[in-house]
Amino acid sequence: MNQTQEPAYRVVTGPEGLLPPAAAIMGIHLPEDGEGLVEGRIVPEEKAMEAAAIAMLTRKNPTLFPGPLMLWGWNDHTIEKSAPFFDVANEIPGVRIIPMPDYRPIYPKIDPEAVINPCHPNLTIWHNKIEACIFIGVHCHFANITLKMIRAGTNCYTIALCAEAGHEDAMASVPNFTAEKLKNFAETLRRVKKNGVKPLYEGQGIIPSGWAQIAGLTGANMVKPAEEMVEAGFSHDLEKGLDENEE
Amino acid sequence: MALETVRVSPGFQKFLPKEYQDLVENGPFTKERKVSELGSFKEILEEHPMCAGCAMTLFIRVALLALPSVENSVIIGTAGCGRLALSQAAIPFVYGNYGDTNAVASGLKRGLSVRFKDKPKDVIVMAGDGGLADIGFSAVMHSWFRKEKFTTVMLDNEVYGNTGGQESGMTQKGMVLKMAPNGKKFEKMDMIGLAKTSGVAYIARIAPTNPTRVATTIRKAVLIAREVGPTYIQAYTSCNIEYAIPTPKVMDDARMVEKDRYGFMEYFTDEAKAYWEKTEADRRKLKGPAEKAESQETK
Amino acid sequence: MSEGLGEEVKTNPQGDVITAAPAPTKEAKKGAAAQRVVDPDYLFLQAPREKTFITGSEAAKEAIRRANVDVAISYPITPQSETMQQVGYLYAEGYVKDYYRGEEEYGVMSAIAGASRSGVRCLSATAGPGLMRGLEVISSWPGGRLPAVLLIMCRVINAPLAIQPDNVELSYMLNTGCLLFHAENQQDFYDYSLAAFMIGEKPEVTLPVAVAVDGFFVTHARGWVSLPAADIKLPPRDCYHEAVPMMDNENPPIRISRDAPIQKSNFISYQMHASWQQEIWAAQERSRKWIDRWLGGLIEVVNPKAKIMIVASGSAVSQSREAVRQAAEQGLEVGLVKIKSVRPFPADEVRAALDHAEKIIVPEFNYVGWLAKEVKSTIRGSERVISGPRVFGGMSMPTELILEYIMGTPNRR
Repeated sequence: MNQTQEPAYRVVTGPEGLLPPAAAIMGIHLPEDGEGLVEGRIVPEEKAMEAAAIAMLTRKNPTLFPGPLMLWGWNDHTIEKSAPFFDVANEIPGVRIIPMPDYRPIYPKIDPEAVINPCHPNLTIWHNKIEACIFIGVHCHFANITLKMIRAGTNCYTIALCAEAGHEDAMASVPNFTAEKLKNFAETLRRVKKNGVKPLYEGQGIIPSGWAQIAGLTGANMVKPAEEMVEAGFSHDLEKGLDENEE
Repeated sequence: MALETVRVSPGFQKFLPKEYQDLVENGPFTKERKVSELGSFKEILEEHPMCAGCAMTLFIRVALLALPSVENSVIIGTAGCGRLALSQAAIPFVYGNYGDTNAVASGLKRGLSVRFKDKPKDVIVMAGDGGLADIGFSAVMHSWFRKEKFTTVMLDNEVYGNTGGQESGMTQKGMVLKMAPNGKKFEKMDMIGLAKTSGVAYIARIAPTNPTRVATTIRKAVLIAREVGPTYIQAYTSCNIEYAIPTPKVMDDARMVEKDRYGFMEYFTDEAKAYWEKTEADRRKLKGPAEKAESQETK
Repeated sequence: MSEGLGEEVKTNPQGDVITAAPAPTKEAKKGAAAQRVVDPDYLFLQAPREKTFITGSEAAKEAIRRANVDVAISYPITPQSETMQQVGYLYAEGYVKDYYRGEEEYGVMSAIAGASRSGVRCLSATAGPGLMRGLEVISSWPGGRLPAVLLIMCRVINAPLAIQPDNVELSYMLNTGCLLFHAENQQDFYDYSLAAFMIGEKPEVTLPVAVAVDGFFVTHARGWVSLPAADIKLPPRDCYHEAVPMMDNENPPIRISRDAPIQKSNFISYQMHASWQQEIWAAQERSRKWIDRWLGGLIEVVNPKAKIMIVASGSAVSQSREAVRQAAEQGLEVGLVKIKSVRPFPADEVRAALDHAEKIIVPEFNYVGWLAKEVKSTIRGSERVISGPRVFGGMSMPTELILEYIMGTPNRR
């Protein structure tokens, strides 16, 4: 849809405060096929992919969050997307892959190194000090509520590669994201690097989810996230994580 | 196709938490599981926030194990303790409004029947005595009158446990509970009698003292609902908190209540009886002598 | 003329049309089987149409005939009953796949919630007290992200009990999160009802849509309605391309507590619930694009430059059109803003359309003046709004009353 007027609101990395407004309410429109959104502005699709690629290569602890529609091989489309997904992962040195296998509020509490959950996505972002992430294969409703919560309390640059209409609350978003577009995104990552963007974690591979547990089991070195997360600005003591059963 | 929702997309297996890997590799799908196998496979329900020693949790665990087609079942609950466990299970769970379970189930079952003509989709309502006999009464009765093809399981702890111990229609007469400060003034509602009057195809009253019997009863109810009509199970699932039953005595209480007033009882309509006898006969034929012994064990 | 009605129209003491249910004819059944799916753009915007003279209830029936509805459930209440009876005939003829009379509206709206979760296209309709009874459930549909269409045939709701037209009930719908369109006439009721299905089912919207119409004035009166041929229908619901997974055990995740009970008392849970609510209203915003495309915008403006502007929705628009005509006869140019979509509210459009106005009149069929409040809270210079005229309790609104407000504003505050 054509924006008749540039909206004043920008969708930028947080922390934006207690309860940021939904970007759609602030006049941000969804892009059409072939377009993308970057910080609330509609841009050509390649521009959005480029912004996403640069964020994933240059920000701390970049992480891929595959959702149920990506993780579970329930139809040919999902299966078709898996190879290009890992192609993308391999182009981002030091990337973490932390799944969102489902949406229930997990009891008694989540393992933030092993999963991200839409009921409390911040815990995973905070714990792993993630400053750039991609949501892919998450149902739009859960992606949207998650994206807003991340924008509220973290400095994470969020990217939504959406099979449907896209997401205003992500800093970068591309709609109708097919396997073909996922291949293009891997290509974009290669191009951006070739054009001089130096990855922050040059030489590192994919960091498995649940890395601390794996290290404990195998005696391997823990792949700790890089430090210096921006202070989120909440009163809670977040180092230990929140007790979900606290009443 | 349903099983494909527990098939991991290529390459993602190692990125899934252990719990999900277990579910995929060793979950209770496709294969019928017996109570005696508990502990040898990944259950649908594992972590949950229910109180220690809760008889309802045991009942739910066994009930979920007994579902004839886990991968084609949907559970509907409402406010109350049960949903705290049900919402954690690896089975689609609908948590709607107060007392809406049987109306939601009617719409859901009909919708699923429109979409999946040749594939049975089992809908099971699992809710408390308050949710079904009090606030949800009208929806329960009308789903029975309309002969909606799903199972209603009442987790009857004879009290509003989740809101802190108020008297319900299923509480015993004379009990002193919150909102019945002078003791409950009227009898426990006869939901089983009402179910008979409404033409429910299969009705059972049960206490969770015999897990194998819980499993066979659930299985019977779900299969009869699939083919014949509405089924109803009323299960005594005590609230050890509100009735101050010491945790180690929970099963003693269940046995006592069972002996006293909650003995196992089942009722079939003629049609349900005929269907069930035929099903059992076919099953025996299919299974052959080796497994016959096992099915005897579940009697 | 509908197949459901004979030539001679009989009514009961309440004024309801009595219709014996005829068995569906072989031809009618053939008609349902022969329908073909067409693109919504074609059905809404391009298909050739023919004019017919039918009631609002019949217009709704014609919308449902082409809507590819799977499950329709309702409970009788005047003045809705006639519509859902007509839908019953459509079911008997095979146009609708399942249909039943529910136990009462709480049960009906709950059953719609269940059916919508199963992935089928669903429809219900109600009126006045029935809407009130179903409201607890209706208010939970948007949070459940449940596409469904609810037709509302407005009537009075307060004691003393009456069945007369009055649209105070819509004030209760404003804050539910449902989309809410208000049809002016029989044509709108057809167009809005049909488009509602496709708008609500868009992945970025995934919300229920209520289409309201003023009871009796529109439902039981005839008007000209342009209809495309009956042999075309909408594509079926494409449920796996919506904002939430279906509760059918056929799509991931298998652990699918979609309606998560977020009740733990800590900061994160509050935030989850808050973000969830924001998302409902954000989804409303996303529907604008489709309302623009298929309903020609959220508002319609007549005489946009006039200094006196009327703002109205529902059948008050028709009365206002006539007042505008009569004022013109007296040499006075009066403008009109028709609000088609009450939710999402066309705030920017209304503000732009009224920026120049010196006097703004808001005629309404209810006592509380919910539309006047909406307009006042939207525009700059709310003192320009004359909240009225209003009629209620079943009265019809004489155009003279609107003219009085145009000329002199009798009860100026």
